[in-house]
Amino acid sequence: MLRKVQNDLLTQTGPETPMGRMFRRYWVPALLSDELPENDCPPVRVKLLSERLIAFRDTNGRYGLMDEFCAHRGVSLWFGRNEDCGLRCSYHGWKYDVTGQCLDVPSEPEASGFANKIRLQSYPLVERGGVLWTYMGPPDAQPPAPEWEFITVPRPQTFASKRLQECNWLQAMEGGIDSSHVSWLHRGDLDSDPLFKGARGNQYNLSDARPVFEVVESPGGLYIGARRNAENGDYYWRITQWVMPSFTMIAPRGSHSVHGHFWIPVDDESCWAWSYDYHPVRDLTEAEIAAMRDGKGIHVRYVPGTFRPLANKDNDYLIDRAAQKMGRSFSGVEGIAMQDASLQESMGPVVDRTRENLVSTDNGIIMARHRLLRALAAFTDKGVTPPGVDPAHQKVRSAAIVLPRDVPFSDGAREALVARPAVAPASV
Amino acid sequence: MTSESARMNSAAEARFRVQAPNSLPRTIVVIALDAAGRAVVERLQRGGWRQATFLAATSGDALEDLAGRPRQIRNEVEHADLVVLVAGPGGRAHAAAPIGEACSRRRVMTTAFVVEATSAAAPDVSRTLGQLRPWSLMVVIAEHDDYIDDMMTALRA
Repeated sequence: MLRKVQNDLLTQTGPETPMGRMFRRYWVPALLSDELPENDCPPVRVKLLSERLIAFRDTNGRYGLMDEFCAHRGVSLWFGRNEDCGLRCSYHGWKYDVTGQCLDVPSEPEASGFANKIRLQSYPLVERGGVLWTYMGPPDAQPPAPEWEFITVPRPQTFASKRLQECNWLQAMEGGIDSSHVSWLHRGDLDSDPLFKGARGNQYNLSDARPVFEVVESPGGLYIGARRNAENGDYYWRITQWVMPSFTMIAPRGSHSVHGHFWIPVDDESCWAWSYDYHPVRDLTEAEIAAMRDGKGIHVRYVPGTFRPLANKDNDYLIDRAAQKMGRSFSGVEGIAMQDASLQESMGPVVDRTRENLVSTDNGIIMARHRLLRALAAFTDKGVTPPGVDPAHQKVRSAAIVLPRDVPFSDGAREALVARPAVAPASV
Repeated sequence: MTSESARMNSAAEARFRVQAPNSLPRTIVVIALDAAGRAVVERLQRGGWRQATFLAATSGDALEDLAGRPRQIRNEVEHADLVVLVAGPGGRAHAAAPIGEACSRRRVMTTAFVVEATSAAAPDVSRTLGQLRPWSLMVVIAEHDDYIDDMMTALRA
């Protein structure tokens, strides 16, 4: 349970809100690189943190992300012409470069210098690992570029997708650290999904449906460990990473790729669910990439031409009641991502946390809220940089590992929880 | 035609959610297992909790309230919805076993907190974990003990 004032604090991320200001201290994924595939390609509308923006790639390959609307009369620059190192408004020809600086106001005398006085709000946009990242905070507080391992490995080793989720970012993110739902909602997928099946660790999962959880604070967020009994009195641990504010990495399975999410607010009632898969020491196979593109694992299939999932609220998520009744799917919704999203969207755009009844196994969620609120207070009251901004906090890995019974998993798996180039992940 | 999910997931429909109370208060028993835990539990007791009882284990693995009056483990666990065990590093959480056994018999959920762990040596944390893990269905190692306040609020103590 959260008080309403706390719920509002964490769920509202517009420019003038405390959480919005804190969110703007991080580099966040804005677009897939493929959305701006070539120089002078069509611009793309981007809505992030309740701000409507336009992204484009100019003649020289520079990326720009700026206010969507022309400073003249408020026309959307999505209709603009991307030409000669700038985006030109189709209405009266005003032209802007990737920094938002107006270069040309055709109706004014060129010598007047009027164009110099016009500048749209813009944010840096950089390409890392197939993703375009932006930083929307004050320039003097801009941190180094992001260092998440999935964007620093060679491109053939990584795959990222995004989907629109039609609810607040926090309830979506909380689903990512709610380890206890996996044994229920996704129980049918371990054996069947090509990106999960066959791992030895799956047998531990399937033979012990009641894991015991441990939650430990990490420098950037939390380690959430789920332990099950293994051989010889040891424990099998699945350790999920959460790094503030909204990055998660799920424990790997066997030799499969490692995966996780970012949840980035579009506005207070929708978010981008970013999903990545990568392998630290090998290329992803054609079959793996084909499966990811086909919506397997944590990815989805789309309504053509959009990033909206094919199964969405307008078609009742294509729920299959017969499959649910027969036990082929616990919820009747196909695919891990939409099993989660369908339920999280059903909570409403912003869930009322004053009415929830959490239990002990929800400590990961309770702790994440606690850390967010604590960081928010320190940031707002004292200007303390929040955890997760430091690139050192981003060099993390999840782990699946067997450890002796009494060992704190944060110690026993210490090396496994850090990203190390060319070192295989700890996985069972 | 708009699907049922599309209509029902909307903010407009959220206004019609039933507002009647949906739960009864839970009874939570918080037990300090050692000196580090006792300091935390004594601070916690001063909060305005509705349904929480605060106790401490004695050196003989019995229970007492924070005023030193003896309490019976079986009686305290009998009607609890959740028992929270609080201990520091160093392996002085011996009372976890008899309390855990009582909880196990009554099918009472247990959560264990290891406080002061971030500044402790790993072997000391291990010793405490070795005592807590067999009896705890959730273990939390938090940097600041005020997390327990937040957890109890979240659990409607």
